[in-house]
Amino acid sequence: MLSEITLGQYFPGNSFVHRLDPRTKILATLIYIVAIFLADSPLAYGLLIAFAALVIGVSRLPVGMVLKSLKPIWIIIIITMLIHMFTAPGENIIFAWKFFKVTEEGLILGTKMALRLVLLLLFSSVLTFTTSPIVLTDGIEKLLRPFKCIGVPAHELAMMMTIALRFIPTLLEETDRIMKAQTARGADFSSGNLLERAKNMLPLLVPLFVSAFRRAEELAIAMESRCYRGGEGRTRMHELAYKGIDHTAFAAVLVLVFSLVALRWGAGLCAL
Amino acid sequence: MSIKLANVFYTYMTGTPFERQALNDVSLTIAKGEILAIIGHTGSGKSTLVQHLNGLIKPLRGKVTINDIDIAGRGSEAKAARQQVGMVFQYPEHQIFAETVYDDIAFGPRNRGFSAEEVDKQVREAMSFVGLDFETFAERSPFQLSGGQMRRVAIAGVVAMNPDYLVLDEPSAGLDPRSRNAVFKEIMALHKERGIAIVLVTHSMEEAAKYAHRMIVINKGKILFDGKPADIFSNHKDELIAVGMDEPPIYKLSVTLRAKGLEIAAGITDVGELVKNIKKVKGWR
Amino acid sequence: MISIKELKHYYTDADGKEVKALDGIDLDIKKGEFVAIIGANGSGKSTLARHLNALLLPTAGTCTVGGLDTMEESNMWDIRQQVGMVFQNPDNQIVAAIVEEDVAFGPENIGVPNEEIRPRVERALAAVGMSDYAKHAPHLLSGGQKQRVAIAGLMALEPQCIVLDEPTAMLDPQGRKEIVATVKSLNQDKGITIVYITHYMTEALAADRVVVMEKGHIRFMGTPKEVFCRVDELEKLGLEAPLAAKVASELRKSGIKLPKDIITDEELAQALCP
Repeated sequence: MLSEITLGQYFPGNSFVHRLDPRTKILATLIYIVAIFLADSPLAYGLLIAFAALVIGVSRLPVGMVLKSLKPIWIIIIITMLIHMFTAPGENIIFAWKFFKVTEEGLILGTKMALRLVLLLLFSSVLTFTTSPIVLTDGIEKLLRPFKCIGVPAHELAMMMTIALRFIPTLLEETDRIMKAQTARGADFSSGNLLERAKNMLPLLVPLFVSAFRRAEELAIAMESRCYRGGEGRTRMHELAYKGIDHTAFAAVLVLVFSLVALRWGAGLCAL
Repeated sequence: MSIKLANVFYTYMTGTPFERQALNDVSLTIAKGEILAIIGHTGSGKSTLVQHLNGLIKPLRGKVTINDIDIAGRGSEAKAARQQVGMVFQYPEHQIFAETVYDDIAFGPRNRGFSAEEVDKQVREAMSFVGLDFETFAERSPFQLSGGQMRRVAIAGVVAMNPDYLVLDEPSAGLDPRSRNAVFKEIMALHKERGIAIVLVTHSMEEAAKYAHRMIVINKGKILFDGKPADIFSNHKDELIAVGMDEPPIYKLSVTLRAKGLEIAAGITDVGELVKNIKKVKGWR
Repeated sequence: MISIKELKHYYTDADGKEVKALDGIDLDIKKGEFVAIIGANGSGKSTLARHLNALLLPTAGTCTVGGLDTMEESNMWDIRQQVGMVFQNPDNQIVAAIVEEDVAFGPENIGVPNEEIRPRVERALAAVGMSDYAKHAPHLLSGGQKQRVAIAGLMALEPQCIVLDEPTAMLDPQGRKEIVATVKSLNQDKGITIVYITHYMTEALAADRVVVMEKGHIRFMGTPKEVFCRVDELEKLGLEAPLAAKVASELRKSGIKLPKDIITDEELAQALCP
């Protein structure tokens, strides 16, 4: 079941998007997310959708797989849509039953909100599909480095992410193993009320924590043995460097933002 | 009284690119009271096979029955049948969770619904089987014991469920020679006194030759050989080596001696016996 | 290479009792030597190993590595670069989610210039025969392969000596063979000094010298031949002797004259049927 979730997975490839510097991709994604909230006309939304489609196309990812990343959260999307549909104030009632009413304004607002969420998710999933977790971590570390002077522990955060990525599969396997062992001893993880269930989880959680702590301790010793002493004076095998394609990508994102700004305030600016 | 696997098939991650067939038409009967060793290299399917014995994995095709009861069912009869099979996983000390040795060992019997007196009796018996003194250890925290002692607590936790069949997946892994021998001595005593069947999954040809009545060799999800360890090791040496297995050291030594013209009897698994045999052949007293 | 003099390591356990984990160890390990240390659980062999790269410091006595005293704090990182350490659990020493990234971890830590790291990583992976797995995820490798990646991670630091603390205890027979073969080739082809801790007697047979420990002391040492023919003493320490040595010892006990130093099947056969 866990293997069905595609959100956050890396899909190796060598497309234009794959080859971009991770910092470019992270910044472009952030700018795109801001841009989503600049849009207020159908044309602007059309532009955003077209841009997302362009990026997915250029990345050569299977479209079905990208869309599948919406699967775990489609329920949130629908709830967002419904809440806006039913609660937005408006005059033009399309449908009413008892105290439920759907107005034209509500329908438009709901659709907008859902669309924003979908675009946001699709665009960020392209980021994770085209960037290996390790490279992504490198990018985050590099981007956060300037904030070190105000106390952001950039290296430590990145190291924590690296280790987490390495150990998630190991701990999942371990969970599976302990669950089987306790099931064989007659443990029951699925019945009873909330309190009973929490208590029934102890035979799983205690060994899991004990093992995680043991692993952490052993890993720390192994890291020390390999001369790890924090971020000071460390070099990297992959030094990140912006290339020509990164400038192209930034230019494309800026064109999008300017178009959206023009669409929203262009008329007003012209009138001035 | 037996566990029967009839034409069992199992595949991991069906329908994905990672699909891997683990068991391919396996049929097997394990009789009550026998000692069966299962050998095969890592990934041969032996772990998948033993997890079928108590329903932790359900066959994709085929059937597993214990005393003719299909254990795949949801009813209480199937559940009771599954509970007749105790399972000691690799590194079983990693499943210890309770605050005291007593509570950890009592976990299984309590889940089986034994009365308080019955639980107490089973815990005491199980501890004595694995050589842990009740007065000394019952109220101690299992997390402060040595590795070998923790292994014994975990094995006792399964023994206390009073199973008819005990499956052990590499019970000696990671132990030093002294603890290895002690653990096997305890398992053999358990077999002798309670008459329970032992299914031993092992990488050690020596253990299989020394302890098992019967041995099956698994390769690529199929049973390659099923028979007496002595027969398999003597008659199928080349096939065993081809699938990454080996012959026990004592067989190797016997073969070397025979090649030198010393007529050592086949199938000796004990050092004392080999020494006697050498003396006999050489005409020494 | 390594010189240990009257080394003692005491600590206080959870019950407040003083434990003498090492109680007067004298041991010299020459450059390029392959030393195996055997002993039952609790004999102090792991504690001794951890002194060799300053993970533990002596309570009394000295431990010097390449002329550097481990007690001197300023020597610590030099010592750790010279002496790499492989541990029992292959999972808990791999840091990164891609093999080559993990091998690069050591050189990155000591500030090797960026353009030198990749060649080091490639050489290290080649030395353990794992070049084809550079881009793989460690959790999908076999135990023996993971342990080889861990060794490559040390080789990338270009050490003089590698200490392996029961590296095969959690591996299957195939993985065990891989590790012994890898260690032998590092010793013979690259001249790396090896300190190999194990309780599998068959693995210690590959060493130049075997050190037998019990209760924080070195009981005896010598070539594998000298050590493994002392069948009764080994058994008293909870260790095993090779089968041929055991059989020879039993035969000697019943009055049969055999050479004292039989440890292999062939030697026994030769002695019985000359």
